[in-house]
Amino acid sequence: MKPLQVVGNRVLRVDGKAKVQGAALYPQDINMEGMLYGATLRSDKPHAFITIDLEEAEKIPGVVKILTAKDVTGHNHHGVLFKDHDVLCAEKVRRIGDPMAFVIGTSERIAKEALKKIKVHYQEIPAVFDPLEAMEERAPKIHGESNIIYHYKCRKGNVDEAFKACDIIVERAYQTSMVDHAFLQPEAGIAYMDEDGSVVVLAATQYPHFDQLEVAEALGLPTEKVRIINPAVGGAFGGREDITMQIHLALAAYLTGKPVKVVYGREESFYAHSKRHPIMMKYKTGATKEGKLLAMEVMLVGDTGAYASWAINVMRKAGVHAPGPYEIPNVKVDSYAVYTNNPFCGAMRGFGATQTPIGSEQQMDILARELGIDPIQFRLMNCFRVGSETANGQILHESIPLVQCIEAVKDRMFQELR
Amino acid sequence: MKKRGRGIAAAYYGTGYGNGFPDVSRARAEISKDGNIFIYIGATEVGQGAKTIFCQITAEILGVETQDIHFVCEDTSQTPDAGTAAASRQTYNSGNAVKKAAESLSQRLMEQAQNHLQLNSVHGLKLENHWVYLEDFPKKRVHFKELVKEDTLIVEETFTAQTVKMDEETGEGAPYWPYTFCCYGVEVEVDTETGEIHVIHGVCAQDVGKAINPELIEGQIEGGFAMGLGYGLMENIGLSKGEIKHNRFANYLIPTALDVPELEKIIVEDPSSTGPFGAKGIGEPVMIPAAPAILNAIYDAIGIRFYEIPVTPERVLVAIKDAQKEGKE
Repeated sequence: MKPLQVVGNRVLRVDGKAKVQGAALYPQDINMEGMLYGATLRSDKPHAFITIDLEEAEKIPGVVKILTAKDVTGHNHHGVLFKDHDVLCAEKVRRIGDPMAFVIGTSERIAKEALKKIKVHYQEIPAVFDPLEAMEERAPKIHGESNIIYHYKCRKGNVDEAFKACDIIVERAYQTSMVDHAFLQPEAGIAYMDEDGSVVVLAATQYPHFDQLEVAEALGLPTEKVRIINPAVGGAFGGREDITMQIHLALAAYLTGKPVKVVYGREESFYAHSKRHPIMMKYKTGATKEGKLLAMEVMLVGDTGAYASWAINVMRKAGVHAPGPYEIPNVKVDSYAVYTNNPFCGAMRGFGATQTPIGSEQQMDILARELGIDPIQFRLMNCFRVGSETANGQILHESIPLVQCIEAVKDRMFQELR
Repeated sequence: MKKRGRGIAAAYYGTGYGNGFPDVSRARAEISKDGNIFIYIGATEVGQGAKTIFCQITAEILGVETQDIHFVCEDTSQTPDAGTAAASRQTYNSGNAVKKAAESLSQRLMEQAQNHLQLNSVHGLKLENHWVYLEDFPKKRVHFKELVKEDTLIVEETFTAQTVKMDEETGEGAPYWPYTFCCYGVEVEVDTETGEIHVIHGVCAQDVGKAINPELIEGQIEGGFAMGLGYGLMENIGLSKGEIKHNRFANYLIPTALDVPELEKIIVEDPSSTGPFGAKGIGEPVMIPAAPAILNAIYDAIGIRFYEIPVTPERVLVAIKDAQKEGKE
């Protein structure tokens, strides 16, 4: 085979020059003649039934239209897995930051002014913020009959028997925090009707074809009547997978026939997109005195907040990756995803597999130290190699260079161990 | 007092949607009548470098330069669906779709060249610098433009990843493929008076299968490490009864350039037979070992384990005080 000519080279980014020179167009940079501006009214209560009075706000000169749930022309819902978000909340808000109305005005100032004049009557209902409490039967329910929306189970070997054979067992609990993607470019977008009657949405997204489906369903239009244009994206990290402003914009353009733009500030951006699932973890890991891992039992509870987003997939990935990259003959994992009235959690870089090593990799260090084995050596003794079997029974048959990775770090940083 | 310690963490990450869910990328390759090469694919450039590596893959197959490729990914009316820019799947999934489309285009060009040059077969034909030529008799050659002057050449290809749904009771199955591996080592300095933690050195070894563009991988490692550092030491939205108290960068702290040390980045290559040229996705794995390696280094420095992140200076000071109290009792 001839040597590769281009693949493997340090080719300059093809989009680099435009971004460095400031020529790249981000959604916020795009303006259109005669465009209107949108502003979103968001809930400041975590769990409540709502009624909305628009009368005073509608009187403000320059307010073109105020959209609420009843203006949604198709299905008033969206969601990457479950359609559990309302486009605009119809009866109930489930978290602080839930969108309830979308004001369309002739200027940004007028649209924001009108937000203050909308009267929302909240009839508050009990809320739950702790995922363990949310799992209890008597807890307030966020959607439907139960707050537990997913339970991943992994059962390999027999952990109860295996722990009896362990010379050492380490049991610890860990907790990760709810964090934001903190991408540089807060959400911004513009929507308009094109000549052939299609609604066009320009907004930064990770998956334009899925946004197209969500917008079409909410507007009640055939998919081919919706076009998504994805200009330069100022960072995403999972935070641009769920719909934020796309449907509001599309609906506004569709109902007014005019281009409509909206720009979120940083504070609104924090409420608009998903967060990383905080996970409560309980780890029990056992090994022989020679340093061979024998058994692991893990319980994970992930708080997905008020909406599911990718919770099932995230807590599945967390469950699959919970044991860490090690051969362990006996494994039991239970991983739960739970609704609460917190901000909603979804995709974020690592998707569940970032949270679990906060527990599993500290377990490895604690065990190594208690066994009197160097932590690097202990990892090398147990880590995946070609031919290893995972806790799911998957055979790692090729491209498994973990030993090389660990050895590389050891050689560069821990020379005394060589 | 300033105390130093070192720690490591190893990690792995399974690519893609997983669990048997159809994970599909589609790409279209074209040569227009004026000889321009286009790739159309609905795969988002989120800053990870997708546009660049897809152009490199196409250029490699068609024997042209990266900048010769016109790449279009921004518009649903022009591009086929290539799934989401997530799950570290674009290099692997969409990279494979782009490679298949480019190969298919190459095959079509060679078939047209066979006719044009009146050859018996396509064997021995090569593509280089917009020409198709016969390797052992290079005078037999034809330019791409000559082959497409009547009709635009268009091909579309699909790649579907292979995963197996897990059993709901036992978890048995093959939930993700391929897996990517990494190990990071860090050195920290803990100021026991202020509680501040500085990460002063990092070594990052990252399995990539095969590096399509080492510069972009190193960039991802830098960014992933910084994000992991923020996760371990700083970031917390400050929840209080469903309210986000830290909702701006004045109180939601993320790392700055000054918080991130010089990193030694080691790219480990061990090609995956199903990846494009052996490549695997690294967008997420590069973040994962940073925070746990820092936690292990903190223990090495001050002998205190932190079971909750972020390990802020306030938490460090409280923990040191508690440890001293326990020591006295």
